[in-house]
Amino acid sequence: MGVKIVERHGSSFKDKTYVWAIFSGMKTTFKKFTSNLSDTTSVPTSEYPETQPDDITDRYRGMHRLTHRDDDSVRCVACFMCATACPADCIFIEAEERDDGVDEKQPSRFDIDLLECIFCGYCVEACPCDAIRMDTGIFSIIARERKDFVVNKEQLLKNRGAFGQENSLA
Amino acid sequence: MMHYFMIIFPIMLTIMFTLTTIPLLVWMERRVAALIQDRLGPNRCNIKGIRLGGIIQPIADMLKLLFKEEFYPKHIKHKFYYILAPSIVFASSFLSFMVIPYADDITLNGFTYHIQALPIELGVLWVFAFAGLGVYGIIIAGWASHNKYSILGALRASSQVVSYEIAMGLAIVSMLITYNSISLNDMVQFQGQLIFGFIPAWGILMQPLAGLIFIVTAFAETNRAPFDAAEGESEIVAGYHTEYSAMKFALFFMGEYIAMSAASALIVTIFFGGYQIPWLNTQTMHEHMQLVILLLMVAIPLMALGFISWMKFNNSSSPQHQKETKFATIFIAVFIIFLESLFFYLFASGMSSEGSSVFTMILQIASFSIKVMLMNFVFVWVRWTFPRFRYDQTQHLGWRILLPLSLLNIFITAIVVVVGGF
Repeated sequence: MGVKIVERHGSSFKDKTYVWAIFSGMKTTFKKFTSNLSDTTSVPTSEYPETQPDDITDRYRGMHRLTHRDDDSVRCVACFMCATACPADCIFIEAEERDDGVDEKQPSRFDIDLLECIFCGYCVEACPCDAIRMDTGIFSIIARERKDFVVNKEQLLKNRGAFGQENSLA
Repeated sequence: MMHYFMIIFPIMLTIMFTLTTIPLLVWMERRVAALIQDRLGPNRCNIKGIRLGGIIQPIADMLKLLFKEEFYPKHIKHKFYYILAPSIVFASSFLSFMVIPYADDITLNGFTYHIQALPIELGVLWVFAFAGLGVYGIIIAGWASHNKYSILGALRASSQVVSYEIAMGLAIVSMLITYNSISLNDMVQFQGQLIFGFIPAWGILMQPLAGLIFIVTAFAETNRAPFDAAEGESEIVAGYHTEYSAMKFALFFMGEYIAMSAASALIVTIFFGGYQIPWLNTQTMHEHMQLVILLLMVAIPLMALGFISWMKFNNSSSPQHQKETKFATIFIAVFIIFLESLFFYLFASGMSSEGSSVFTMILQIASFSIKVMLMNFVFVWVRWTFPRFRYDQTQHLGWRILLPLSLLNIFITAIVVVVGGF
């Protein structure tokens, strides 16, 4: 093993005066300033409400949705796995019997309190039927009142996947 | 009428240079910081779609601070001192502006008027007195707040100001030897000369070392970055103004910006030729008035054209912005046409000697304001370039480097003056 001796900087007179370092630092920031001032489009900041983000990937955890079967009915079988896995206790499910012979159970009520939700994605992980997903790409959730942040089954079914996969894969 | 106006005029200028430049400085600070850091800064605030590049934002901020609740923490025992402190900071930085000359002395109807709010010969001493008084406000604020962070901030600020005032004073002493006067107006008149017939005799060119020391100490005196350990938010929350809110905080805030502006004005006056336009002192300007007007007639529309094309390029991303750009273009065009016709009238009719001296005064005030704004830009630029000094490094720089250097500079200056016999 050879020993690598690292040269120490900052002990010469030129370094100790700091003046050169100060001027080179000021040169750097001034260059940045002038180049950004002469062409403000080169600034990476996007003007948000007018310019929507274009870098949301398919793994981004946005607002939830309930997926559909191939016959467009709800995929969820109301097994309560997501509500059990939820660390924020924000999923409220009531089950009912399903009469159309496709399956045995379905939720009569499926509410998510988006103010309680921490967007951890555990519900998506827990679901055995691929019935709940967070691939809507909706990152901005706005309402006027607290109660409007509790989204129900109909709203969740209305949300569509933003990245191609529409129906449940299970 | 004219007589009284000429006496009140410099006081109005002082108010303009201090109070009305604050929103401008805040705006400049935020936009320059943003552009240096690859951001855009505040650009949304508008009045009917007119944004003026974001200048509306500081006005909105000021309104918010004005209408905020007047809150007094319960543990404050001496409310009088608690309220007095920000007033001292504000008033002292405001008053230190009073002796800055904005233009050369002007003679109208046989009277000679000084374009200084306080036409006294004390000059530098007045500025030092009030720069030193400003720190009392900070000490009182720290003590009256009855809070550990506040008192630490106040201690830091006061010891820093005390140690840097010495180096600052000594840097000034060498300038006093050079100019042979303590009156700021005499200093600026001196700087209207030329060395060897072609270099303007500006302080920074004659005494670069004193200039550097003075600028560094001015940064420390105004408690601005990189010497703002007094409000080092990583260690002591906000320093001496931790317990202040609403308009009392705003007074500290505005005092800081006025102090910055006053420091810039002092630096410009002593080292960058004050109101003098390089190679054009008052005498030369009087002799070549026609030429100066002709130059302005060419230069101002060119600058306006450059500005309009820059604005068209950068402010046309949406119909709203295009409309705003159009409005601003029309406004600038009308203003330029007005200026051009005024210049043409002056050029064609030829000016009386009094008209010529008034015009000279206006040009000198413009030159001074441009220089002060550039110096303020340097203050902002430095703040967003350098990290904060550690507190012991600040003291080390003040006592062990700047103080000996300024003493050395006095010796050299004195030897040159005595031996050279200037």
